[in-house]
Amino acid sequence: MEKIKEALDFSDFSKAEKIGFIIFSIFLLIFPWIGAGSFVKAVMIQFLLFSLFGMGWNTIGGYGGQVELGKAQYVGIGAYTVALMMLWWKVPFWVSMPIGALIAIGYSFIIGYPLFRLKGHYFAIATICTSLVLQDIFTNWKLVGAAKGVELPIHDHPDFLYMQFKSDTYYYYFIMALFYIAVFYMNWFRKSKLGYQLRMIKDDEDAAESLGIDIRWCKIKAYSIASAFVAVGGGFMAVYNLYIDPQSVMDLDLSIKIALMAMLGGAASLWGPIIGAAFLVPLDRFLGSWLGGHKGLIGLDFMIYAMMIMIVSAYQPRGIWGIIEQFRKKR
Amino acid sequence: MDQISVILLDALLQGILMGLLFALVALGLTVIFGVMDIVNFAHGEFLMVGMYAAFWTSILLNIDPLTTLPASVVVGVLLGLASYYWFIKYLLRGPAIAQLFGTFGLMLFLRYLAMFLFGTDYRIIQKGLLVGKSLSVGPLIFDWTKLAAAILSFIAFLIVYFLLHRTKVGKALQATALNKEAASYMGIKTDKMNALAWMIGGGTVGIAGGLLVNFYYVYPTVGLLFVMIAFATVALGGFGSIKGAFFAGVIIGVLETVFPVFGQMLGSEFLGPHFKFTIVYLAYFIIVVFRPQGLFGWKK
Repeated sequence: MEKIKEALDFSDFSKAEKIGFIIFSIFLLIFPWIGAGSFVKAVMIQFLLFSLFGMGWNTIGGYGGQVELGKAQYVGIGAYTVALMMLWWKVPFWVSMPIGALIAIGYSFIIGYPLFRLKGHYFAIATICTSLVLQDIFTNWKLVGAAKGVELPIHDHPDFLYMQFKSDTYYYYFIMALFYIAVFYMNWFRKSKLGYQLRMIKDDEDAAESLGIDIRWCKIKAYSIASAFVAVGGGFMAVYNLYIDPQSVMDLDLSIKIALMAMLGGAASLWGPIIGAAFLVPLDRFLGSWLGGHKGLIGLDFMIYAMMIMIVSAYQPRGIWGIIEQFRKKR
Repeated sequence: MDQISVILLDALLQGILMGLLFALVALGLTVIFGVMDIVNFAHGEFLMVGMYAAFWTSILLNIDPLTTLPASVVVGVLLGLASYYWFIKYLLRGPAIAQLFGTFGLMLFLRYLAMFLFGTDYRIIQKGLLVGKSLSVGPLIFDWTKLAAAILSFIAFLIVYFLLHRTKVGKALQATALNKEAASYMGIKTDKMNALAWMIGGGTVGIAGGLLVNFYYVYPTVGLLFVMIAFATVALGGFGSIKGAFFAGVIIGVLETVFPVFGQMLGSEFLGPHFKFTIVYLAYFIIVVFRPQGLFGWKK
């Protein structure tokens, strides 16, 4: 009970942030009824999904300060667990999704243990390596569909157990519910013991160690929390897209996008990943669909993307939220 | 000689040839890391730019691909200098995490710039003095393009090695790598040395690109594979170690060709040629976890 109270307690935020969050929540709630087209709805679902990924990444990458570039492997674990269990044993989504998250947690402990002997660049590259190894395995493993991927069995009529609906609205509300669970969880997390320990580790590892914090264990815990978040999102991706392959759920580009959105919005802040996703997802989708019609302009969307990363990392490493805070302090 | 030993010997020698090229790719990465403590994620994209430079010079001027090396060196050096003065310099003010993401951004930018300019096509050089010709020694067959690339990589590596160890500027660069502050008290300008490191990094990887394009496809995302190999190489040799980069390059090259042969002999689904780069990623992981300083490393 105490924890839930803390999770719902936003009293240390400024008035502007609170009002902004309420307006944003009302908008999210009524969004499916304002008559937006199916494309805009799909973009909103993507936005909520990537906010969820970003908030997960934020535990280890933002608060913990460990540059993690391998989140796609957990998207893959979540997505493949849901898809394969549904295909092989007709297991409902509501059972397979938590199992996917548990497998992700178990896997994150196994590779997290050696991984967190490493720091800085070594760690960042190693996370890419582990993700690429898993992608290579799934791309060549015939049992799980190899490079062709897995197609989920389609039901004739809508089925709540298997999360198959005719309209995107249901998917929208489901991912919105996950999004709010994530927001409240992160609101609790940043004030929790682990949250403070991670920030201490980020600032000064030696000092944290001398205060008796088990650095490696803290990082592994945060890493597994992040992995669980991402695996849940991955499970949603499987039922939403009805088709997964290693390229779409395990690619390095996905890992980069997840980390980037959180970084661009502002790592180690509650709103950062949401702002980052609100910025990049629409940019990505609208630019992508607009450029899709112009064959000669392929790659331009990612160039704009990359330029934003370069500018933000050179000018304000704390991201858009950092710029906003800087601006507020000046006044 | 029986069949299996011929296959193994062939794989070993092919691995050494590839390894010499990997060493040249890794050289720039390790020099930059040694001097500045920055891991250049865009290094593979520098290679890609070098490859495109050689490719287009060869096609547009209609000259032999091997004679385009000066073009790819110049492009590489300019790219290194431009990256440093226009971008990397500004990253140095921020925390380490910003530097990591900054070079990552540079990597994406170069990759998608190439995609924007040249499309996603796989391109390969069709004609040239050495293209398609091979040298057979007994049962072994070597492509001349690979042989030339390996020999020229080796020569380029030696030249850079001697420049760094025998000239005054090279020694200044090494002094900066060992201790930035002490070197600056001796009147060595850190900024100049940083720029020099990026120049060498860009130039050597430019040569490597120019050599690689003779027998390898060039496409916008080719860099990722080679940058991962370079990371594994540098990790094995020790971050910052030049000697290490050389030996590690050869070891990684051999690993990448010999391993699939063993896999095929065992007939396993998971050890075949599809996994030849998986083993490189795994090698990186194992090396940094168990021996973070690598074979010859002095930086931790």
